[in-house]
Amino acid sequence: MAFQSRKKFCYFKENGITDIDYKDVKLLRRFVNDQGKIMPRRITGSSAKMHRKLVRAIKRSRSIALMPYVENSAE
Amino acid sequence: MRYYETLYIVNPNLENEALDQTMGEIRTELEKTKSKLINHRVWGKKRLAYQIDKQKYGSYILLHFEGGDQDQMNEFNTWMKLNNTVLRHMTVILDEKPEVYVEEVKEEPAEDKTTESVAEKAAPVEEAEVEIASEETEPETTEEETESVETDDTESTDEKVEADTPKEVAGESPEEEPKEKEAE
Repeated sequence: MAFQSRKKFCYFKENGITDIDYKDVKLLRRFVNDQGKIMPRRITGSSAKMHRKLVRAIKRSRSIALMPYVENSAE
Repeated sequence: MRYYETLYIVNPNLENEALDQTMGEIRTELEKTKSKLINHRVWGKKRLAYQIDKQKYGSYILLHFEGGDQDQMNEFNTWMKLNNTVLRHMTVILDEKPEVYVEEVKEEPAEDKTTESVAEKAAPVEEAEVEIASEETEPETTEEETESVETDDTESTDEKVEADTPKEVAGESPEEEPKEKEAE
């Protein structure tokens, strides 16, 4: 049991989210690490379809300064 | 017709009159594209994720409209770029679903500008918002409950605090929950 990892699940499918709004920063922040990088799908467990939408939303919110391009960058 | 959403950032130091003036200018410029203005409201003053023109804060303004002439729309885009009061702007095509969202939001500014039979329309929207808000608040409350259950050790310290101000703590906690729901 000790080596059994928790089963990953798509956050969006679990919560019935079909469209991701780029203005919903609170949601998008979950899928970005502390440097502001988009987390890979293998870690977040989101489905391919929703990950594509997620990436688009994050990039949009970056361009309008709602989310950072870089943050706490390692020196 | 396609529906568009433009979000633009304006210098936060603009006063109310100056802000209204710039919003009016943008509205008149948009009317040249023969597009129907659905929604034009201030979204709020927010901290920018990175500095734009040495500004740390910006007031975001949201603009919903039904698309007009394409060439004119491009001109509107360049006009927004050249406009110095607008720090940054972005226009996004809305999918089919957000059209419903547009209709919901359409009634918010209508309350401010024109009060023509808005009360009938506004009522269902408020209910919908309350439903969403209650859904959001429910998990939060459960989390708080679980936290309180888990942290049995800290309750003793809490009791001491309550002993100091027992009436205030007892009075505030039931009042706060309905207030939050009303606010949201």
